[in-house]
Amino acid sequence: MDDLSARPHPDAPLLRPIERPARNFYLIVGILLAIILYTGFVYLRQILFGLGVTGMAQPVTWGFYIINFVFFIGISHAGTLISAILRLSKAEWRRPITRMAEVITAIVLAIGGLHPIIDLGRPDRMSHLFFNGRLQSPLLWDITSITAYFTASTVYLYIPLIPDIAILRDRGVKPRWLYEFLSWGWQGTERQHKVLDRAMNILMVIVIPIAISVHTIISYIFAMTVQPGWHSTIFGPYFVVGAIFSGIAAILVLMIVFRKIFRLEGYLKHVHFNYLSILLLIMSLLWFYFTFSEYLTGYYGHEPNEMRVFWYKFTGDFAPYFWTMIFCNFFLPVLLLCNRKTRTIPGILIASISVIIGMWLERLIIVVPSLANPRLPYPTGIYIPTHTEWMLFIGGISVFVLGYMIFARFFPVISIWEIEEGRKESAKIVTERISSYMPDIKPTSAGE
Amino acid sequence: MSKKTIEGLQIVSISLIWVLFTGIAIWVFNLIKVSLELHDAPDASVAISIVAILIFLVLASVLTYVFIGLRKGRNEDKET
Repeated sequence: MDDLSARPHPDAPLLRPIERPARNFYLIVGILLAIILYTGFVYLRQILFGLGVTGMAQPVTWGFYIINFVFFIGISHAGTLISAILRLSKAEWRRPITRMAEVITAIVLAIGGLHPIIDLGRPDRMSHLFFNGRLQSPLLWDITSITAYFTASTVYLYIPLIPDIAILRDRGVKPRWLYEFLSWGWQGTERQHKVLDRAMNILMVIVIPIAISVHTIISYIFAMTVQPGWHSTIFGPYFVVGAIFSGIAAILVLMIVFRKIFRLEGYLKHVHFNYLSILLLIMSLLWFYFTFSEYLTGYYGHEPNEMRVFWYKFTGDFAPYFWTMIFCNFFLPVLLLCNRKTRTIPGILIASISVIIGMWLERLIIVVPSLANPRLPYPTGIYIPTHTEWMLFIGGISVFVLGYMIFARFFPVISIWEIEEGRKESAKIVTERISSYMPDIKPTSAGE
Repeated sequence: MSKKTIEGLQIVSISLIWVLFTGIAIWVFNLIKVSLELHDAPDASVAISIVAILIFLVLASVLTYVFIGLRKGRNEDKET
């Protein structure tokens, strides 16, 4: 096989980060590794001295770790779920977006899934789950559903990546053995395409219920208890909506960053941002509707314990966080995205970052106030996260950035073969589809 | 790395996928067994487990189908 790396490729901008990585790539990797190493040291300290090094104490026994667990798993809905929905609905504009989204899922799920273990003072006791686990516990449902989602997402990311890996293999990109190994002899034959399409169709269908089940089950960790503020029947869909909402915001931020760094203006066009930001706007309205319903029913019931949590959020210690959340998740995105003049890339970036912050605050507001105001006659709890918890949060974000950078160093973040396929076939497919559902034109006389 | 080594590694990876998924299935079966022994919500346990096992089996089968299909597709192209 001849070396094709010197030959120009029609999608050269997508191969540039792999064939000619930027000089500051290793510098950024070094900085991130230093942060991760320090985070590792902080975690080791937590294992040695126990959870006393955190701000968690009775009655607030869940803090940053569980907040970040729910937050990261929520972000993971960006990828596989949205990608599967766009593929199933045959949205042609999906082509440059899907892979970016799928990578988010795979990396963020791995980080989020580790947080319940970090939350354990004795992580070695995780082994009890394997030998003496109780399926009655929503925590075990969580492990099962997250493992299934992680596996499905990784498979769903990998399978459509195969033709692009083969492009890198044929261009002689190093490490060649890796591309040879991962491409499974892909040559783009008709039969190979059929196999790939069939597998992706199966995955698309099974990935959607798995993704929805994951965040529903996470909500059950809260809703299956009788804690005030948690025992709610709408927590499942409320969590799913919030997860998709934060996920779309995360994709938009990443798309804007990659567009800028890798100069992908030709691939990530304004139309992509426009469509996704409209989706973000819809999710913002839906999120507000769920939040309104959730608090209105609680307020109307006026159950004393419920009301303690309610006022703690609305006017008490957590009021600044609560109202910031409402501003970040609803007022600012709606204000920016409703108006065509502000629905520009900088406007979308501000709205997306605002949503990510707002959704993190939402997790904080769900987890802490209910624990701080339990049904038992405890004085109101206080939770102030320590350096350890902040560091593990920063470490988690660093692992995400590092993971994404490493992926982008070895694989194209935009699917090359799907773009090629789109150029060749999209227009024809869309025309056929439109003509299939448009009413036929039959010449009729005036008398008929 | 030679082509034979890479092919060997690919076969090992398929086997490992099945080892992993069989391991998960055995673990879930063990959980069902424990729940039946302890009369600990066995109905819910069985229902959840059956779904979980099925998902992992489907995933392993899809991966195996893709790996074998791609290899066969390549060979078929060579023959024609």
